[in-house]
Formats: sequence, structure tokens, C-alpha cells
Amino acid sequence: MKTEKSRFIQIAILAALGAAAALSLALPQLLRVERRAQLLSVSVMLRDTDSSGWTVARQGMEQAADELGAELRFLTLASANDSAEQETQLLREIEDGAAALVAVPADPAALSAALDPWLVVCPAVTLESAMEGAAGVVSPDNALLGKELAAALLEDWDGGEVLLLDTAGRSSGVLERMEAAAEVLTGAGVPFRRAASLPEEGDLRWVMAFEPAATQRSAEKNEAFSRSFAVYGVGTAAAITAQLERGSIAAMAAWSDYAAGYLAVRRAVGAVRGTDGTLAPLPFSVLRKEDIYAPENQKLLFPIMSSSSR
Amino acid sequence: MSFFRRLAAQWGERYRKMSIQMVLSLSFTAVAAAGMLLMSVSLIWRFSSANEQLVAENSRRVLAQANLNLDSYLRRMMRISNTVYYRSIKNMDLAEDDLTGDLSLLYEENRDDLVSLAVFDGEGALVSAVPLTALKREAETADSDWFQAASQSMENLHFSTPHVQNIFDDPDYPYRWVVSLSRHVQLTRDGATEGGVLLVDMSFSGIEQVCRDVTLGSGGYLYLIDGDGEIIYHPRQQLIYAGLLEENNRAAAEYRDGSRQEKFQGQSRQVTVKTVGYTGWKLVGVAPAVSWFAASPQLPLFGLTLLLFSIFLLAFLNFLISARISDPILRLERSIRELDKGLAGVKIEEGGCYEVQRLSHAVASMVSTMRHLMDDIIRQEEEKRRSELEVLQSQINPHFLYNTLDSVIWMTESGQQQEAIQMVTSLARLFRISLSKGKSIIPLADELEHARHYMNIQQIRFKNRFTAKIELKPGAEELYTLKLIVQPLLENAIYHGMSSAEDDGVIRVTARREGEDLVIDVEDNGLGMRPELAASLLEEDRPEVRTKGSGIGVRNVHQRVRLTFGEGYGLTIFSEPDEGTLVRIRLPALNREEAERRRQGEEL
Repeated sequence: MKTEKSRFIQIAILAALGAAAALSLALPQLLRVERRAQLLSVSVMLRDTDSSGWTVARQGMEQAADELGAELRFLTLASANDSAEQETQLLREIEDGAAALVAVPADPAALSAALDPWLVVCPAVTLESAMEGAAGVVSPDNALLGKELAAALLEDWDGGEVLLLDTAGRSSGVLERMEAAAEVLTGAGVPFRRAASLPEEGDLRWVMAFEPAATQRSAEKNEAFSRSFAVYGVGTAAAITAQLERGSIAAMAAWSDYAAGYLAVRRAVGAVRGTDGTLAPLPFSVLRKEDIYAPENQKLLFPIMSSSSR
Repeated sequence: MSFFRRLAAQWGERYRKMSIQMVLSLSFTAVAAAGMLLMSVSLIWRFSSANEQLVAENSRRVLAQANLNLDSYLRRMMRISNTVYYRSIKNMDLAEDDLTGDLSLLYEENRDDLVSLAVFDGEGALVSAVPLTALKREAETADSDWFQAASQSMENLHFSTPHVQNIFDDPDYPYRWVVSLSRHVQLTRDGATEGGVLLVDMSFSGIEQVCRDVTLGSGGYLYLIDGDGEIIYHPRQQLIYAGLLEENNRAAAEYRDGSRQEKFQGQSRQVTVKTVGYTGWKLVGVAPAVSWFAASPQLPLFGLTLLLFSIFLLAFLNFLISARISDPILRLERSIRELDKGLAGVKIEEGGCYEVQRLSHAVASMVSTMRHLMDDIIRQEEEKRRSELEVLQSQINPHFLYNTLDSVIWMTESGQQQEAIQMVTSLARLFRISLSKGKSIIPLADELEHARHYMNIQQIRFKNRFTAKIELKPGAEELYTLKLIVQPLLENAIYHGMSSAEDDGVIRVTARREGEDLVIDVEDNGLGMRPELAASLLEEDRPEVRTKGSGIGVRNVHQRVRLTFGEGYGLTIFSEPDEGTLVRIRLPALNREEAERRRQGEEL
């Protein structure tokens, strides 16, 4: 009886091992099918009305999505920095089955409060501003950026009031840059004031903008005013670089938008799949016109978009 | 060291406790598994090596094709450069002719691949350019790498690394990535020649198109570097530029053409290098080791499962085979163990392979011989016992006969004829019972009858100095007993107990059943003896004492009973001085069938 039982167990194990061998042979095919079916849906929400300023970041995001098996949905707002619309759209995305969110929050605190119950099932990664409950933030060290941009201004400053453009509403990252710059200016005894937009008239010599759209708008106005004031801003978009090259912008803080987009999606996918990941602040440089064509800055400012990466 | 010794000792101990089947099974499996492992490793190594060669061959073929395409592309660019130089510049006097028309034609013809065509004089001033015709105000042409390279090495064509062309004034600021092909040219102006530089800006996308569709198997890729290792094209170029990825391009710049293994960021990979003609650029094909070591991540799993499956199958089959081999040995061992326990009729099977059959046969033969020998010994012992019994029984008769006949003679001589007749009659009856057709086991009633006749004889001889009472208790009537066991005790009671009696001697014989035993008490009220003496009477090493009676005494009876029925039976003597003696015989209570069986046993 014992022998029969033992033989039955042996045959059972033999059969199990045979099945395992067959299964492991068929496994690659099965996994391939499963992998195709399991593309993660990641929604990307900007705080602007168009995504032209985010072209490079978007390409970085698509590179990451391609590598990690995700598909992206890009969303913009009807009106810039509309926090309520951003919340509504993101909640709709979650309802529609988004696995993760990448957002440039217009109001991080409000967005965090709105998304709070959902962040466990749908992790979010932010760009530019940190958000409570998010799986990570991809941005340069905003305070340091503000300080270094102010330091660049101080190198040129020879008197006059500095206008700090407070354009990003409740975007904490942008505010952080501005506050840090204000602190440096205060320390240097440079007079400044904050304003939501450039004044139409008046003696204006120094302008600091802390987000790409404001930088671009200021430079455009500067060109219209025949470069009557110096703009210190941020951004890497081709248009902003051209403005720097033309002298409409005196100095700008630049970082790799491609890296920012890539890292944001990689972290978002990682958060969904439960892999650990820490995000270090993005390295940035404060560039002037003469720095644009240095080989390293060319790589930073003018990304090569390989067709094969998509 | 002691650990290994302890391990060896443990294994030795286990080995000693293992069955032959287990030893065979484990040994076969271990040897087969080791062989399979060795074979698997060899196969994997061979497979891996062959695959590696295949991948290297494939990489070389793919790189050769990519090189051909790239070479073709670069040759086309060089042809454009040659065309501009040899057909236009060489044939023109710049003071009289405009180069722009020729440049425009060529540009239009190759606009998909070209970003700009330009000719500069030796100082870097623009002579002619298409499609953009003006330089930026701050353009420092003469300081550009491509200009310097062309000015310094006049015989050669120079290919730059990818860069953003920034010298032309373009209101759209398109920031195009180009690879610049520059060469030194001789410009003619007013009949005089002067040095200049011809620039052909190739669109980076042209090179990208050549390289991007090249695939090198699973996870493999191709990149392009210049002679210093600077990356010209890489499928993940921007990730490298953004600092999110690293490539081993500097090391690859040092590699010669061909395939080699390298370890980069903890990953083994095969790198194949092919130098592109004219430029010194290198096409580098990278195939990660996993792509040829295992076609898929599941392959090692499959291999492992297959190995386990094979080992288990082997173990299973080995177990069955070893069981078939060892079963006859185990059966033989089991038979020997049963023999050892003393079981009768154990059959030694002669099965299995030749050696085992021979061994079984030898054992069976040995057992048979042993059985015959044992039967002989038993028979001899039986015969010896029987002869001893016969000797003991035969010792009784002559003494008693002599004494009785002596009494008869005495009575006849003294005229006591009636007593003599009675004595002779009793003697005759006594002998008839004694004979009992030669049987040693007789009915208890006969034995008591025998005792009664004996007592009759003795009472006559001793002139009724004692009385005899023989009693058969109910339940013992049908029992059987060893013959002539009561009479010697009566004899002892008469000669030792009644010798000094007047007329008050009583000898009582009582037979009864006690459970499975038959108990016969022979009791007298004679002189008795000390208990120690009574106990010593039955000791085997006590010297033989001849008596006045039959001459055999109680010890002979005791020995006969024990020889016949075993150690648990025999005589017990209870005695006290002046109180008399009780001799108790304990026998098994034999019924007719049992008595008959014993008789048959004796006859055998």
C-alpha cells in the first residue's frame, strides 16, 4: 500500500514536472500576448492652453512610454492655470481608467485635495511643483534656480527696479523660484516689485520671469519695445532659445525638458508597478547668448529626436 | 576538515542503513544526473558559443550592410562636394561668375539630404551659399571646427561630428543638426588663386535614416561614433545627451574592426566594430549577452525544468530497475531472516539474475543440509531419550521382581499358600499393567490399579503393618499418565516411612485434576525427614543411593516425568520429621487424544 502511494506520488511529480517543462516552453509566447495587452495608460495634464512649450518634454515622455510599455494621453486646459478645470479633467481621466497621472499642477494644494482619495490607485507624478501625496516631482531645485537667476541679474544690474513676474498663480514651484530670487535681490539691496504682467508703460529695465510662457511673452514684448529692458527667465523651447540668441533674453535658466519628461513617465509607471524610485532634482544651467552653441549646451537646448525612439 | 570528516561519517552511517535498492537507485541517479549536468553544461556552452559566433557573424553582416549604406550616403555627399569643386569652383573666376546658381542647382537636387552649401574664402568670409545667403552678424566661421580642419589638412575631406549649424542668418531659427563635410578649395579671383573652404552641411536625419532601421537581434542596436569616440548617432542619443544613459563609446573608439566581448555597467555584451571608409567613423553593433545566451528569459527556466524532469524520470526508472534487480536479494534476505527466527517450512526462492540465482541456490542447498543435520540431531536426541527411559524403566522391574518372588518363595515355604497365590496374582496383574503393550503413557486408572496390586503384594510382605488408601478424585478418571510413577514412591514410603511402623501405618494415594495438570499425591505418616533433606532428594548431582525397594527411588521418577513432559513438571517433596512425607507428582492432564498423540510421537 505504501509502495503504491509512493509510486503514485512519483508519477504525480513526474507529470507536474512535465507540465512545467511544457509551460516554460510556451511561456514566452504567453507573456508576449499578455505584455501586448497590458499597456499602461498614463494621462499627462499640463497647466497651459497648448502644449507647444512642452514638445521636448513630450518626446522624452514618449521615449519612456515606449520603453516601459505605456501609452500617453496629453491634455491641456481651456484657460491657463485653471486649477478647477485641471481637477475635473484629471478625475475624469481616473474614471476612464488611467493607470497613472503626470501633471503640471496649477495649484498643487487644491489638486492634491481633489485627487487624494484616488492617488492610491492612480499614482501621480508632478512636473515643476511638488504635490502632497504624489509619487514624485520632476523639477530642478526651484529655490536654487531662483537664486542663480537672480545672481545672473545682479551681474548685469546697474540700478533700477526689478519686476518679478508673478504669473503662475498658485503653482508652488514657480512661486518658490520667485521667492528665492526676491530673497537674493533683497539681500543685495536691489529694489523689486511683483506684478502679474508687464506694465504697458513706464520705465522698466529689469524683468524676471519664472516659467517658460511668461519668459517667452516678456521677450516678445521686449522685442516689440526694441529691447528696452533685460529679461531673465526660464525655458528651453526653441523659441525661447532664439530669443536668447537675439538678445531679447539676457539670461535663462535651462534644463533638459527631455529628461524631465522621460523621468516623469518612468516614475509614474514605476509607481503603478510598485517599483521604488527616487527623483533627484534636475540639473540646470543659467545660460547667456554666448553659451548657446557650446557643445554641451547644444545637446541640452536642441534635442536630437531619433525617429527610432518612437 | 572535521566538518568533512563528520559529513563522510554521516554518509557512511546512512549508507550502512540503506537498502540495496536505495543504494543502486541513488548511485545510478547520481551518476546519470552528473552525466546529464555535464552534458547540459557542455551543450549550453556549445550552444552559447555557437550562438555567440552566429550573433557575431550576423552583427558583422548587418554592420557591413549599414557601412555600405553609410558609405554610399557619404560618397554621395562627397560627390556633391566634388561636383561643386571640380565642376564649378575650379571653372569659375569669382570676380566674374556667380557660384550661387550652380550651388542652388545642386542643393535643389539633393535638398532632402542637404541643409546648406557654402563656399568661404581663406578668412572665413562667405563667398556663396544656398539656401541661406547671409551669415549671422556674429558668426565666427573661421573659428569653426570644420573650417579649421579643412584649412589645416588641405588634401582631405573632413566630416564633423553632429552639431547645430549656427552661422547662417535664418529668421526662423530652426536649429538644425548637421554633419559638416568641409574641404580646402582653390578659389580663382581675377585670375589669381586663393585658398577657401567648401562646406556641405548634411542633414543629420540622412545619417539617422541609414542607421535607425538596423536591428541586431533581441535587445541589440547600432551606434556611430567618430574616431575620438564622440557619438554621431545612437538610437537613444538624447537620453545620453540628457545624462540619463551612458554608452561605452570612448572604449569602442579604441577597438579594432571585428567582434569582441565587453562588460559595461555590469552587463556582458558582444560589440562588433566596423570602420567607415574616409571618415574614420566607426559603426558599433551591440548585442547583449542575454540575446545569444538565452533566446528568451524563459529558456533557462525551461532548461532547468527539463533537467529536473529528466533527473526525476531517471530516478523513477532507476528505482523501478533497481527494485527489479534487488527484489530477489531482498526476498532471499527475508527468507534467511525467517529462518533465523526459527520458522519451519521457509522456502528459498531462486530468482533474479545469474549471480543472485547462484547465491539463492547455495543458500537453499545450505539450508537443506542444515535441516537434514538438525533432523538427524533431533532423531538422535529422541533415540537417546527413549533409550534412557527404557533403561530407567528396565531398572525397576528386576529389583521388584526379585523382592516379590523372594516373598512368594518365603510364603510358599512357610505354608502361606493363599497369600502366595494372592501375591502371585497381584504380581501377574502388576506385570500386565507394566507391560501395557509397550506403551509408556497409560490410563491413570491402570496406573492406580498397578499401585493397588503393588500395595497388595507389599502388605502381604509386611504383614499388614500399614494400610493403603488409593483414591481417584472425580474429574480425573479419564486422564492418562506416565506409567510406573506411583509404584516407586509407594516403595519409598514403605521402606523409609513404614519401616518402623507397628500397625498404624497409612499410605494414601490421591489422584486429582488441578486445571490443566494432573496431581498425584503419595502420602505416608511415617518417620518423615527434615525439609532440607527432602528438598535435596531430587537434586541431580546427588549421589545415587540404592534403596531396599526397587532401588530407583523418587529421583528416577522425577527425571522420567521431566524428560517426558518438560521442566515444569515433576515431583515435589513435603516432609517434616515424625509427621510423615508427602510426595506430589505433577503431570499435564492428558486426555485420550493427547495421550495417543504422545504415543505416536514416541514411536517416531
